[in-house]
Amino acid sequence: MNKITVHCTVNHKPVAVEIDPNKRLLDMLREDLNLTSVKEGCSEGECGACTVIFNGEPVTSCCVLAGQAEGADIITLEGVSVDGKPDVVQQAFMDAGAVQCGFCTPGMILTAEALLAKNPAPTEEEVKQAMSGNLCRCTGYAKIVEAVLLAAERARGGV
Amino acid sequence: MKPFDFYAPTTVDEALELMHKYQDSVSVIAGGTDLVLELNEYKATPAVVIDLKKIKELNYIRVEDGVFRIGAMATHASLAADQAVKEKVRILHDATRQVGSPQIRNLGTIGGNIAQSSVAGDGLAACVTLNADVTLRSVRGTRTMSINDFLAGEGAQKRNILAADELLTEISFPVPDTKHTATAFYKLAKRKSLAISVIGGGMVVTVDDNGVCTHASMRGGALGRYPMHFADCEALLVGKKLSYAAMLETLPIMHDQILEANRSRPWSVFYKKEGAQGVFKKLFADILGQLGIEEVQE
Ligand SMILES: Cc1cc2nc3c(=O)[nH]c(=O)nc-3n(C[C@H](O)[C@H](O)[C@H](O)COP(=O)(O)OP(=O)(O)OC[C@H]3O[C@@H](n4cnc5c(N)ncnc54)[C@H](O)[C@@H]3O)c2cc1C
Repeated sequence: MNKITVHCTVNHKPVAVEIDPNKRLLDMLREDLNLTSVKEGCSEGECGACTVIFNGEPVTSCCVLAGQAEGADIITLEGVSVDGKPDVVQQAFMDAGAVQCGFCTPGMILTAEALLAKNPAPTEEEVKQAMSGNLCRCTGYAKIVEAVLLAAERARGGV
Repeated sequence: MKPFDFYAPTTVDEALELMHKYQDSVSVIAGGTDLVLELNEYKATPAVVIDLKKIKELNYIRVEDGVFRIGAMATHASLAADQAVKEKVRILHDATRQVGSPQIRNLGTIGGNIAQSSVAGDGLAACVTLNADVTLRSVRGTRTMSINDFLAGEGAQKRNILAADELLTEISFPVPDTKHTATAFYKLAKRKSLAISVIGGGMVVTVDDNGVCTHASMRGGALGRYPMHFADCEALLVGKKLSYAAMLETLPIMHDQILEANRSRPWSVFYKKEGAQGVFKKLFADILGQLGIEEVQE
């Protein structure tokens, strides 16, 4: 097996990672780039804990090979905060009490970020649709939806 | 995952050369939503993986001379968002917008869905109902065939006729004349999101200016190894004036066909036959509404 070098942008910085091609994007981010906010849940694309923003869209990084990230723009939770301070979505998750055990939270926040970047004023139904690929086994969905709506409102200058 | 070498060609020709060179030891990867899981679980153990994502010429949705042409690398998300598909091909819109989850739709491609030829493939069921053509390319040349011929399986594992060094490049079908033709897809599953189809029903109906049915296509995904073909139901509709009552008359035949096909799995029959009838009643109502023939209240 020949190693490959993956050139991509991770959290706004260009990186070049020399890696075995039989690794997933999930493994590259966690093991090679030490971005441990990216969680491995089901490893089958079902739970959404490993969600990252890939060229602007949420994807499950357990379904992507590291080599497929060549040239991509990737955002993990580490790339969301501003100067080490929580951004509007993170703050809304805290304020709405949308975090229980926390394992699904990075994926939830990234999916919400991708949604709000495209649709700054989503309806509750649109939020539920957008978040339908992220599972929370503490079953705290009501507050998660509330948090995303709150973030949207604050980002638009309300509250 | 077993170790493999990784290539990311940027043209179809380059990919075909590599596939030809490595033959059976190659897996091509599109969205990866089936393949990466198989690699991770050692169910697929290729020596070489060829990524199709960098091949721009495989990613398009366009209408040309009255024909929809869809590149194999078009994602479920891009199909679900496409305005022409939404207006003209409801069956494909409704099938792709319900695949997996937003994350899976952003990755998964129509080509991967068809090449995987899973019993529960929703994009596959929609394309089979449309009787779409698929185009396959290899270093030997190009062949285009009906998706029904493509699905002629050889053996337990092999569900389609793709050769080891052959790429599925395009799905095509005539643009439906929505004044006379309606298409619909209904997915019966255990949840709204992240659920495999228990039944993925597809229907295409064409009527003439007098409302008489001139063509019908009825398929049930996940009912058998391939989307089940309700040929006798179709035959009953053709030549009749289309109405809800006429459509309901097909259900006893459908019932018998599902019963017959599932004899070896009797435990699933009761649920599947009831489910299929419910799915098709929804499809009938949808089709009749689209054609402006009848409003059906369930
Ligand atoms: C959580 C989850 C939920 C899902 N839900 C659904 C669902 O609701 N409905 C549904 O239908 N499917 C579902 N799937 C299955 C899968 O997402 C789809 O089948 C998807 O369309 C596969 O496309 P892909 O691009 O990801 O294929 P890949 O995984 O990249 O490839 C699949 C297979 O096809 C081959 N292949 C891919 N492209 C080509 C090509 N152009 N030419 C030749 N061979 C090719 C590959 O070698 C591989 O064998 C789900 C999967 C997951 C993980």
